[in-house]
Amino acid sequence: MSDVRQPLLKVRDLEVTFHAHGHAVSAVAGVSFDIFEGETLGLVGESGCGKSTTGKALMRIVEPSSGTIELDGTNVATLSGKVLRAARTKMQMIFQDPISSLNPRRRVKDIVAEPLDCWNKVQGDERATIVHDLLSKVGIDPVVYGDRYARQFSGGQCQRISIARSLAMRPKLLICDEMVSALDVSVQAQILNLLEDLKAEYGLTLLFIAHDLAVVKNVSDRVAVMYLGKICEIGPADTLYESPAHPYTEFLLGAALEADPDSPMHSQTLEGEPPSPMNPPSGCRFRTRCPKATQKCADEEPLPQEVAPNHLVSCHYPLTITHKTPTPTAVDG
Amino acid sequence: MSSVDLVEVQILEGSRKRGEPLGVLFWICVGWIALNVFIAIFANVLPFQSPLNQDFTALNAAPSLHHLFGTDDLGRDILSRVAYGSRVSISVGVGAMIIGFGVGAPLGMLAAYRRGRFDAILTTVMYVMLAFPAIIATIAVLSFWTPRSLVKIIIVIGVASIPLVYRVIRTATLSVATKDYVIAAKVQGATDRRILMKELLPNIAPIGISFLLIGIATVVTLEGALAFLGLSVTAPTPSWGNMINEARTILQINPWLVIFPSLALCLFLLCLNFIGDRIRTHFDVTEVKL
Amino acid sequence: MSDEKLLVVTDLKTTFDTANGPLPAVGGVSFDLERNETLGIVGESGSGKTVLSRTIMGLQPRTKVSVTGSSVIDGFEVVGASENDKRKIWGTEVAMIFQDPMTSLNPVMRIGKQIDEALRVRLGMDKAAAKARAIELLELVGIPSPQERYNAYPGMLSGGMRQRVVIAIALACSPKLLMADEPTTGLDVTIQAQILNLLDELKDRLKMSVILVTHDLGVVATRTSRIIVMYAGRIVETGNTRDVFYHHRMPYTKALLESSPKVSNHSHTRLVTIPGRPPNLLSLPDGCAFAPRCSYATDQCHLVRPELEPSTEPGHTFACWNPLPINVEGALA
Repeated sequence: MSDVRQPLLKVRDLEVTFHAHGHAVSAVAGVSFDIFEGETLGLVGESGCGKSTTGKALMRIVEPSSGTIELDGTNVATLSGKVLRAARTKMQMIFQDPISSLNPRRRVKDIVAEPLDCWNKVQGDERATIVHDLLSKVGIDPVVYGDRYARQFSGGQCQRISIARSLAMRPKLLICDEMVSALDVSVQAQILNLLEDLKAEYGLTLLFIAHDLAVVKNVSDRVAVMYLGKICEIGPADTLYESPAHPYTEFLLGAALEADPDSPMHSQTLEGEPPSPMNPPSGCRFRTRCPKATQKCADEEPLPQEVAPNHLVSCHYPLTITHKTPTPTAVDG
Repeated sequence: MSSVDLVEVQILEGSRKRGEPLGVLFWICVGWIALNVFIAIFANVLPFQSPLNQDFTALNAAPSLHHLFGTDDLGRDILSRVAYGSRVSISVGVGAMIIGFGVGAPLGMLAAYRRGRFDAILTTVMYVMLAFPAIIATIAVLSFWTPRSLVKIIIVIGVASIPLVYRVIRTATLSVATKDYVIAAKVQGATDRRILMKELLPNIAPIGISFLLIGIATVVTLEGALAFLGLSVTAPTPSWGNMINEARTILQINPWLVIFPSLALCLFLLCLNFIGDRIRTHFDVTEVKL
Repeated sequence: MSDEKLLVVTDLKTTFDTANGPLPAVGGVSFDLERNETLGIVGESGSGKTVLSRTIMGLQPRTKVSVTGSSVIDGFEVVGASENDKRKIWGTEVAMIFQDPMTSLNPVMRIGKQIDEALRVRLGMDKAAAKARAIELLELVGIPSPQERYNAYPGMLSGGMRQRVVIAIALACSPKLLMADEPTTGLDVTIQAQILNLLDELKDRLKMSVILVTHDLGVVATRTSRIIVMYAGRIVETGNTRDVFYHHRMPYTKALLESSPKVSNHSHTRLVTIPGRPPNLLSLPDGCAFAPRCSYATDQCHLVRPELEPSTEPGHTFACWNPLPINVEGALA
C-alpha cells in the first residue's frame, strides 16, 4: 500500500448520536479512515462498539450528526433527495440477516433487477441478460431459480442473491455488514471465496464489518479495531494481528478461539464488559478495563500515532511492535 | 450470530405441504359469498316476487311451494325480502369498508413508513377517535342526521372504521418497514413510492385482505344492530337487521320470519370470517421462515 | 464416585412425523460419557446436534415424534420415561443451558426469584435458605455484587451476564451433567472466552460433566477432551479432541476444519470449501449422506452407508469407505 494513491472513500470525524429518552448516546464518536481503491478494510469490534452504525452512516441509512464522507470526491454526508439516491448507487451494502434482506414475496430475478428498475436503466432482453449474468456469477442457476420466490432459499443462497443485487449497479464500494455471521462454516467459506472472486472481477473496494477476527483477517488488507465508538487501532492485517499495538486489540486477539487444540490458551482474559456509550469514560475510552491505565489516560484523549508504516494506534502507552514472532498471537506478559 | 437450526426449518417445511390447496371448505365459503353478492346485485332481475307485494291469502304462512321461506305478518314473501335485504346489508358492509380502507390504509402505511412527527400526530388523532365507543358514536350521529339513507349510514360507519383500519395497517407495516430488504431497496435508489408499492404493500396485503373481510362481517352485524334499534334504512325497505327487528314482536306466531334472515346473516358472517382467516394463514410466510 | 459411566446412549433415533414423510433428525447415535468429562458435539445446522442433545435428556415435543433406542443418565432410562419421572432427573441429574439467554429467562421476573424457584420446588428449601443459596450461586458464576443483582430483571443485564444467570439456574440443583447448547454463540469474543473459562472452572469445581454442543470448532478445540462430529443426524467421526483435529479420517471432518477461517492464516488465504449444501433430511441418500458433496466418493459410498469403525488411536472411530490415510500430520498447516 503506498500513500500516493488517492483514497476512494475518505471519512473524517464521523459522529453519530442517537437521542433516546432524553439521553444522547454517541454510537460513533469521531471516526476517521481512508479506504483505497481495490483494497478491503476490515472493521472489527465487539457488539455495541459502533462498527455497524459506522457502515450504516456511510450509506446514510442512519444520519451522521457531523463529519464528512467523501466518496470519489463527493461529500455524501451533505447530499439529499435525488442526488443522494444517485450517489448511493456507487456504494452498496450487504446485510447480516440473509433472509430478512430479501422480500419474501418477490421473485429472485425481480429482486436482482430492482436497482436497474429503480433507475429505469434497461428493459426487456437487456435487463434479462444482466440478471442472468449476475445470478450465474454468484452461483445461482438463473434458469432453474430465477422465477422462484426469495422465501424458498437457504441462508447461503439468499446471501448470494443479495450479492448479485448489490452488484447490479456496478458499485465501487461494497459495505458488508456481518454478512457471513449467520451462516454455517462450510457455507461461510463459499461466500467468502465468492466475495474475493467478485472483488477481483468487478474491481470492488470493500468495507468488511464483522465481529469474527478470523474471518476479518482472511479477507482484509487492512484492519481497523473499534472500541466504544472510536477506532483504537488501524493497520495492515498481517502486522496488526501479529503484533497489536493497542492493549485492547491484544486482549481481543487473545480471546479469539482458534480451531486448533494446540493454540496457546490465554490465561489472561479481559474482565468486565464495555461501559455504556451513554456515559463514556473521559480520556481514553478503554482505560476502565486497561491494566496499563494511568492518570494521563483519564485526563488526555490519546491521538492516533504511527507506530509502524501505515499502522496507527490511539494509546498513550502502545505495546512494542515486534515483527516476525514465531507465534503470532502470543501474549507478552 | 444466531443460526436457525436447519432441522427445525425442515421439520416446519415438512409439516406444511408445498402448494397445499386452500381446502374444499374455503371454496364452499367463497361460493356462498359469491352467491350472496350475485343475488344482492341481481335481485330485481332474478325471478323473485316483489318484497313489498302483499299476499293476503297467506299471512304468517309457513314455508310452502309458493312461498319457499314462508311469509310475514303482512303476507310479504320472506325469501324475496331476505334476497333484497342482502342488498342493504352487503352494500353497507362493502361501502363502509371502502371508506375505512380508502382512508385508513394509506394513512397507516405512510405513518408507519415515515415515522417521526407525521406518525406521532396522526396516531394521536386516531387514538382519540378510537377512544369514543364506535357504536355509541354511530348511534348518536345517526339519530340526529335525518332522514336516514343508505349513503349516510355507509358514511357514518365508514368514518368510524377509519381508526381501526389505520391501527391494523400501521402495525402490520411497522413490522415490515424495519426489515433489511426495505433498507436495501432504499439504498439501491428506490423512491419512497416504489418502496411502499413494491416492498411493503405485497407483504401487508394478506393481513389487509383478511382484516377487510372480517371488517365487512363486523359492519354487516353493526348494521343489523342499528336496524334493531330502528336506526338503519326505514321500512318497508328490507335489510337482514330490520327483518329480525320486525320479527321479534311476532316471534311466537311466526318463527320463520326470524329464522331465515338470521340464518342468512350467520352464514354470511361465518363464511367471511373463515375466508379471512384462511387467507391470512395461507399466505403467512413467517410461519415457515421462522 | 462410582466407575459407572454417567451417560450411555445406544442407537438413539429421533424421527419427526411430517406431512411429507418421516424426518430422521437423529438417525441412530451411540456414545457414552465419563464422569467429569467435557464432550463436544460439533456439526453444522441440520446435523441434528440440537435435537440429539434434547433427546438425550428427554426434551422433545409430545406429539409427532418417535424416539427409539436408549439414553441412560446415571442409571435412569430417559427414553420411554413419563414426564413426571423425567422431571425428577431434570435439574438434579441433568440441566441445560440454551443458546439465547434472553428467551430462556423470564423477562418480567427478578433473576433471584428465577433461581429461588428451582431451589424451593426441587430441593424444598425455605425462603431464606433459598435466597442465601441463590446469592451464593450468583457469586459462583462470577456476577459482581450478587446481593444487588438478585433483585434485577433480566433486561437490566448484558448478554454475558444473562448467560451467567442461566448457568446459575442450571447449577441450582447441582446436576451431574450440564448440556450447553451453543452457550456462547450470540456473545462477543471476550465475553465468550469468559463464559467458556467459567464453564471449565465449574466443571472441575463441581465435579460434573459437560456436553458442549456447537457449530464452532474454536469452542471445542481447547475445552473438550473428546469430540463427536455429526452430519445428517449421525456420528461420522468421534475420538479424543487431538485425534479428531490432527488425525481425522473422515473427509467431512477435514473439510469442516479447513473451511473455518483461522486467526493465524495470512490475509487473503483462500478457504477450502465444501461444495453443495447440507442434506435434506426428508430425502437422505441410501449410502453415505456426505457422499454427494465428497470428493473421495465412489459408487460404494452412494449405495451403502458406512458404519463407524475404529481407527488406530483408542476410542477414535469414523464412518467412511474411503478414509484419509492414517496420520495426516500437517493437514491443518
